[in-house]
Amino acid sequence: MQIRIGVFLCDCGKSLSNIDFPKVSERAEKLQDVVHVGLHSNLCLKEGIEEMLSTIRDGAIDRVVIAACSPKLKEDAFRNALEEAGLNSNFLSLANIREQCSWAHEGDVTEKALELTAMAVERARFLKPLVKKDVPVNKEVLVVGGGFAGMKVALDLANLGLRTTLVERGLALGGRLEGFETNPAVPINSMRKAIEENRDIEVLTSAELTRGEGEVGDFSIRIKKGDEELSRSFGAIIFATGYRPEISPGDFQLRPGVNLISQEKLTEILKAPERLELRPKTIGFVLDVSDENCRLPTLSALNDALAVKERLGSEVYVFCKSLKVDSEGVEEVYREARDRGVVFVKFEERPRICSEDGRVKVELNDILLGDEITVFCDFLVAEERIMPSEGTEALSSILKMRIDSRGFCQDENVHLYPVSCERKGIFCVGACRGDLDIARASTDVAAAVLSTYELLASGTAIVEAERVKVDPEKCRVCLTCIRVCPHGAIRLVRVDTEREVAQISDLACEGCGICAAICPAKAIDFEGYGDEQILAEVQAIGESL
Amino acid sequence: MIRGNNKIVAFCCENSAYLAADKAGRMRLHYPDNVRIIRVPCVGRVDLIHILKAFEKGAAGVLLIGCHEGACQHLTGNTRAKERAAYARNLLKEVGIDEARLRMANIAPDMAQQFVREIEDMTEKTKER
Amino acid sequence: MIIAERKPLEEIRGMIAGYKKILVAGCGTCVTICWAGGEKEVGILSSQLRLASSGEGTELSIVEACIERQCEKEMVEELRDKVQDVEAIVSMACGIGVQTIADVFEEKPVFPALNTTFMGMPEAEGVWTEKCRSCGDCMLYWTGGICPVVRCAKGLLNGPCGGTRKGGSCEIDPEKDCAWVLIYRRLEKQGRLDLMRKYYEPKNYRAVKRPGKIEALKA
Repeated sequence: MQIRIGVFLCDCGKSLSNIDFPKVSERAEKLQDVVHVGLHSNLCLKEGIEEMLSTIRDGAIDRVVIAACSPKLKEDAFRNALEEAGLNSNFLSLANIREQCSWAHEGDVTEKALELTAMAVERARFLKPLVKKDVPVNKEVLVVGGGFAGMKVALDLANLGLRTTLVERGLALGGRLEGFETNPAVPINSMRKAIEENRDIEVLTSAELTRGEGEVGDFSIRIKKGDEELSRSFGAIIFATGYRPEISPGDFQLRPGVNLISQEKLTEILKAPERLELRPKTIGFVLDVSDENCRLPTLSALNDALAVKERLGSEVYVFCKSLKVDSEGVEEVYREARDRGVVFVKFEERPRICSEDGRVKVELNDILLGDEITVFCDFLVAEERIMPSEGTEALSSILKMRIDSRGFCQDENVHLYPVSCERKGIFCVGACRGDLDIARASTDVAAAVLSTYELLASGTAIVEAERVKVDPEKCRVCLTCIRVCPHGAIRLVRVDTEREVAQISDLACEGCGICAAICPAKAIDFEGYGDEQILAEVQAIGESL
Repeated sequence: MIRGNNKIVAFCCENSAYLAADKAGRMRLHYPDNVRIIRVPCVGRVDLIHILKAFEKGAAGVLLIGCHEGACQHLTGNTRAKERAAYARNLLKEVGIDEARLRMANIAPDMAQQFVREIEDMTEKTKER
Repeated sequence: MIIAERKPLEEIRGMIAGYKKILVAGCGTCVTICWAGGEKEVGILSSQLRLASSGEGTELSIVEACIERQCEKEMVEELRDKVQDVEAIVSMACGIGVQTIADVFEEKPVFPALNTTFMGMPEAEGVWTEKCRSCGDCMLYWTGGICPVVRCAKGLLNGPCGGTRKGGSCEIDPEKDCAWVLIYRRLEKQGRLDLMRKYYEPKNYRAVKRPGKIEALKA
C-alpha cells in the first residue's frame, strides 16, 4: 500500500538563516511518497502543532517527518501530537537540522539539511506501529537477607500494602545487629516484633535461594528451607545481604593474639572486664591501614573508645589518617570521645607496629606535631575491613546480577542510581553495597521502597508492546541473546510441544539493541532502530539528489 | 573549513555522542559539515553490515562514538562495538580500504570539544589528496 | 553441530574471478549459529565483494539469499528462480550444503565460501571447540563423557601418557588440559574409577564404512 509521507520543516522562528528552506522544500517534494512539505516557524508551539495536525488530517498523511531541533528536546511532544491526529506515535521520524546542522557549521548548510531530511524520510518508510499495552505484574516482593536493611524494607513495603517474603539464611532475623539488643539506639527487638505481628510479611529463616529465573514483574524463585524446596513468584527483588567484617593481620605486621585483638574480642572483654588478669593501661585503635574507606569501623572504634574509657579507664589512642565522621551522629561521638580524653593521632605514612616487651609499640610521624612519636599499647585493636557477606557472589549469579570489583552488590557503572541494578526490578540496599552505616542504609531502604512501590503497586505496568521482538520462526535457539542481554530481559519460552524460542520481556527491556546486533539469524527486530531503518539512513547518505 | 564530498558517517550513541554533538551545536563550535550523524540507542547496536554499507555507499570514513569504558548504560555495549570495529577493520583491509578510515571513540555526553576533534581528525585523515 | 570458518576473501575472489553475476547463498542452521555462513555473513561477504570489485573497476552483480538448510534438496530447490539468472553460486554452507546445491543445480559452478572444520559446541560467546571426531565407535561410557580421541593430543585410549605437566596440562600443548586427568577426576566424582582398569583395544576406524552411509529401514 502506498504510504503518504508529510515533511514538516521548522526554521525555528526564522533563525536558522544558513539554510535555504524554500530550496530544501522544493527538493524534498521530489522524494518518493512525499505528499506534502510544509515550512513552519514554531512547530513546537501550540499553534505550530495545531497547524501540523490539521495538515496531517486533511492530507491523510500517515508518516510524519519533522526536520527541526534536536529530537532530545521535542520527540515526546511530537509523538503525543501524532496520537491526537489519530496516527500511531511511532510513525515519526526526526531530522536534527538545528543543533547538528545549522548551528554546527559555518556558511550555507542547505545541502546537509536536505540530506538529513532525506535520511529521515527513508527511515520513515520502514516504521511500524507500536502499541502501548498494560502488562500484569506480580505485586509480591522478595527480600533477601534479614538484617537491619532487610527487616526495614519488609516493614516499609508491608505498610504500603505490598506483601513481602523475607528470606534469611541464619536462624533468626537481626544480622549484624545481633548482640546489640540492649542498645537503645538499635531497634532490633521492636523491628522483630513488628515483623512477627505483620501478616503481610512472610519470614523464612534457615532458608536460601537456589534458583532465580524470569524478569521484573515475574521472577520465579526457588527457595530451599530444610528439606523443602519452595517455588515462588515475585514482581521485584530486594537484595539486603549485608557485610562481614574481616581483619587483615598482615596489614599490621603483627600476628593476631594477645596484643593485636579484633573489635569483637574487645567487645567480649568489655562485657566482663573483671575477668582480665591485668587492667590494660593503654589501648590503641588503628584506622586507615587496611582500608581507607571505613565508616563503620570508624564509628565502632569511636564507640569502643568511649566504652573503654568508661569501663576500663585506660588511656586510649586512636591512630588514623583522616577520621570519617560524615555519617549522621558520628561527629557527636567524636567530640564526646575527645572530651573524655581519647587522644587522636593523625599520620600520613603508615605507622610502624611491632611487639616489644610484651606490649605493642606503635611508631609514627604525627603530622600535627610534625615529629616522630612512639606509643606503647597493651592492646592494639585492629580495624576491620568491611567485606561483602559470604555467599554474595553465589547469590548474585543466581539472580544474574553483577557485582563490583570488590564483591559488593551493584556494578560500578555510573549510570546506576544508588539502589538500582542493571536488571530492572532488582534493588540493593544497605551494607551489601559497601561500607554503609544504619543512617545511610535507611536512606537506601526508602529509595528502594519508593521505586518498588511505583513499579508494582497498581498491579500493572504500561509497556510499548514488542518494541524489540524475537521472530519465533527465525530463532535458532542458540541462546546468544539470552546470554548477552545486559539487563537479563530475555528468556526461553515454549511455543509448542517441540520448540522453545527466545522471548524478550517488554517490561525488562531497556532498548539497547545489543541483542538485535548479535543475533546470528537476524531474528530480532528492533522497531525504530531495525536494520532496515539504519540501512535506509545509510543509503540516503550515499544518494546524491 | 573543510567542504567537499568526503562524507563521514558517525554512528552516535544517544547517551553520550549524540548529546555531545548537540552541545557542540549549542556552543557554536563549528566543525566540518561533511559528517552525517546516525542516532543509535547504544553503540553496541551498530553491526558489521551497517559499517560495510556505509563504505559501499561512498563514505570516506566511519566513526562509532559511544560512552567511556565502564560507563556504558548498557554495560557491555561499548566493548562490543570496540570488538566489532576491530573485526570490521580486518574486513576492510581484505578489500583494500585503509583501517584508519574506521574508528571507535569514547566520550562523555558533555564533551563537545572532544566530539568536534573526532570529526576534524577523521575529516583530515580522509581528505582526498 | 558443524563448525565452519569463512575462507579468506582473496581465496573466494580467486574462485569467482571472471564471473559477472553470482548468487551468494547462506544456510540458516549450523553455520548461522557459528557466525560463518548465515544471512548476516551473506550480507557481509556480498558487501566486501562489491567493495573489492568497485575498487578494481570490475563488474560484479550479486544476488543474496539464505535458506533454512542447504542439506535438504527440497529447500535448495527454493533457490531455483534465483539460480537461473546467475553464472555461478557461492555457497556459504558447510561442505554438505555445497555439494547438495552442486547436485541440484548441476549446470552451475558452485564454490565453497567456507572451510568446514569440525563438530563442536559453543564454549563461550564466539568460541567454538571441537568435541567429536565421528570415529563411529563411541567410548564415552568408559571415559566419563570426555572424549580422548579429540581432547588427548596423542589420541590415547588408555591414558595418561605419564608426561602430564604440573597443574594438569598436556605435555605436548601446555595450553590444553590433559584429557586423562580430566577423565580421572570426572570418574572419581562419579565413583566409577574402576572403569580406568579396562584395557581399551585400539580403535577400529573401519567400524564405519567410509564414505559413511546409514540405511535405517534396512533389516
